[in-house]
Amino acid sequence: MVVAVAGVFSTPATARPYVPTSDTQVLADLPAGAQHAELSARRIARERIDVALPLAQFYINQARTTGDLRFLGYAEAVLVSWIGSSQPDPTALVLQATIQQSRHEFDRSLVTLDRSIAARAYNPQAWLTRATVLRVLGRYAEAAQSCEQLARYADSAYGVICTQSVLALHGNLPSAYDTLQRLSTTEMMAEERAWRASELGEMAVRLGQDSDAERWFQLGLTLTPHDFYVRAAYADLLLRLHRPEAVMTLLHGQGSIEPLLLRIAIAQQQLRDPGLERSRDLLAASFEAEASRGESIHRREQARYLLEVEAHPQQALEVALLDWAVQREPDDALVLVNAARAAGSPERAQPVLDYLRMQGLRDARLYTPSTSRS
Amino acid sequence: MNPFLRSLIVWSLGALGCAQAHVASNSFLQLQVEGSSITGSLELAVRDAELAVGLDTNRDGRVDWGEVRAAEPALSLYLQQHLHLATHDGGCALTAGTLQINERVDGNYIWQPLTVRCPGIPQQLSIDYRLLDNEDPSHRGLLSLTAFGATQTAVLGGQRITQSFDLAHPSAWYAFVDYLQAGVWHIWSGTDHLLFLLSLLLPAVLVRRERRWQAVPQALPALMNILKVVTAFTLAHSITLSLAAFDLIRLPGRLTESAIAASIIVAALNNVFPLITDARWRVAFAFGLLHGFGFASVLADMGLPRGARLVSLVGFNLGVEAGQLAVVLAVMPVAYWLRHTTLYRRGIMPWGSTGIAALALVWLVQRL
Repeated sequence: MVVAVAGVFSTPATARPYVPTSDTQVLADLPAGAQHAELSARRIARERIDVALPLAQFYINQARTTGDLRFLGYAEAVLVSWIGSSQPDPTALVLQATIQQSRHEFDRSLVTLDRSIAARAYNPQAWLTRATVLRVLGRYAEAAQSCEQLARYADSAYGVICTQSVLALHGNLPSAYDTLQRLSTTEMMAEERAWRASELGEMAVRLGQDSDAERWFQLGLTLTPHDFYVRAAYADLLLRLHRPEAVMTLLHGQGSIEPLLLRIAIAQQQLRDPGLERSRDLLAASFEAEASRGESIHRREQARYLLEVEAHPQQALEVALLDWAVQREPDDALVLVNAARAAGSPERAQPVLDYLRMQGLRDARLYTPSTSRS
Repeated sequence: MNPFLRSLIVWSLGALGCAQAHVASNSFLQLQVEGSSITGSLELAVRDAELAVGLDTNRDGRVDWGEVRAAEPALSLYLQQHLHLATHDGGCALTAGTLQINERVDGNYIWQPLTVRCPGIPQQLSIDYRLLDNEDPSHRGLLSLTAFGATQTAVLGGQRITQSFDLAHPSAWYAFVDYLQAGVWHIWSGTDHLLFLLSLLLPAVLVRRERRWQAVPQALPALMNILKVVTAFTLAHSITLSLAAFDLIRLPGRLTESAIAASIIVAALNNVFPLITDARWRVAFAFGLLHGFGFASVLADMGLPRGARLVSLVGFNLGVEAGQLAVVLAVMPVAYWLRHTTLYRRGIMPWGSTGIAALALVWLVQRL
């Protein structure tokens, strides 16, 4: 199926190779951790776990802030000698599970987390990652249990944010929104506050309170400017409100992160911006490369690309259904429902809507016509 | 809660952010198999090349084109060490060409043309891909392999370092067309065969009487002359080409090339100082045998695909015939039309032939 869809992108995907005219033309900015010279630190990390763990953690952080998936490979290379043994290090296992989760290997990630918890019960980070994975999979009851375990071992605020975020998907959106809003932030670190702001932003979107959502996303970005997840969520809000110029400003210079390039392309589509052609080519090449790798990390993005950039709702629907079989966040449902409506077969989204109603998900974007505003 | 635990928790918040992922490390390897030669290209991200060989020599955190160019030998060496191709006959030699740059979603890539020399025509190609295997275990090479009109794709690297690819047996029709074109191209670009034929055909519109060249009175004798010469030449080189192609006879390449040059001298001088005037088709046949070995050496360079050897040979031979027929059809009507002129009989015949002989003499000296 993926191969069949990839056929759509078989137009010449990238520009032709060229010879730069000047020796001073910069071809790549190297983020920290991407230099050849740093390989010596990696060699040391194979011998010493006190070097390996912070280094792997640093690489995962770099993956998150630069949007470059290569860093996950670097982290994996550092961890490999610490997770293969008969008594693997529990922290190394959590880091490994985070990498697996980032690659959408959800089941393997859960297995790795269980190994980590078995090796060390006092393991808040393992419980938090476990809650996150289960939440993405739509297994809310189990996710909530993981949040309770987290609350036992970590500061209460972590437990509250974790639990309320799951409850918000599970029939308790207004009360969860209320609880998180009233949560005191005085003791929190910046990242923790950003986490709260981003959850509140998403809840406000589902409540249909778009102007509040915008406020929360802006707060989140002030606290952690490099968090491209919040940036993408904010861009989606702006796109839905038909404010493509604001999207172009928000995402300026961030086109090398694929999910953000998708939002740029949709904004360019709305603006009839001539830059759209280049964005399309780059995205098409990227989806094609992913398909040839036999991976499907970006199905949600691919479905949105087909629906909102290429205007192929039928194909978008097929990809969205495949995506839904793997991950079940509200945004996965949203692209599926929109694609089904655009393709003229809303009945194909009905089982998904029924399932979400049963789960108690409330989302203003899903149950009202997609153009409605609060 | 202790600070270390706090910092651990903070990064795992990133788990949420990572739920949407980005572009992994890929290289793009394209290979086209044509006979025993393989051409193609490898695209490696500048980021990945930095990790592999260290491009940023001035350590300013950015890689510019000058630094990439300076690293060309290092990249070439890295490629030799981390990418191995082999057929069942042994390993292939890999050469990388001049670097270029290509843009993709996650940044610039270094694009290198590749030339691969393998022993024999590959029936099966094994590819051993170890690029970045130490630095980034998630790195993969995305292969697109085209052989005899069929393309296959594969993911290289990771757990499966070595992979083997059966190259589709070329379809008979594909091989036929391919070798037909090669035949035409060879006769058109190989001046020596054409000049030999021309030397034999120049006098075809004339007859030798009283030690002088005179125009043939009618078209029929000229046509018969042409037909005999062309047929004899074709027949002769087809025989030796086939024998050599199936390895029944083999002549050293240098000897063949020299003898071909000598044959042109003989044929051309025969027009100036005629010894054989009536049965030039015999000359065409005798020397045509030699020229067949010349064609065979071209075919040996290309290789005959197993499973379609005969059809390829026939295709190549027909290509040679078609190419030479086209030249005959273009030249001979003009010669026939000019045959009464002094220019033709006193100018083109003796001096043109002398020129051809002189040129062939130069070749002969070069080839000896």
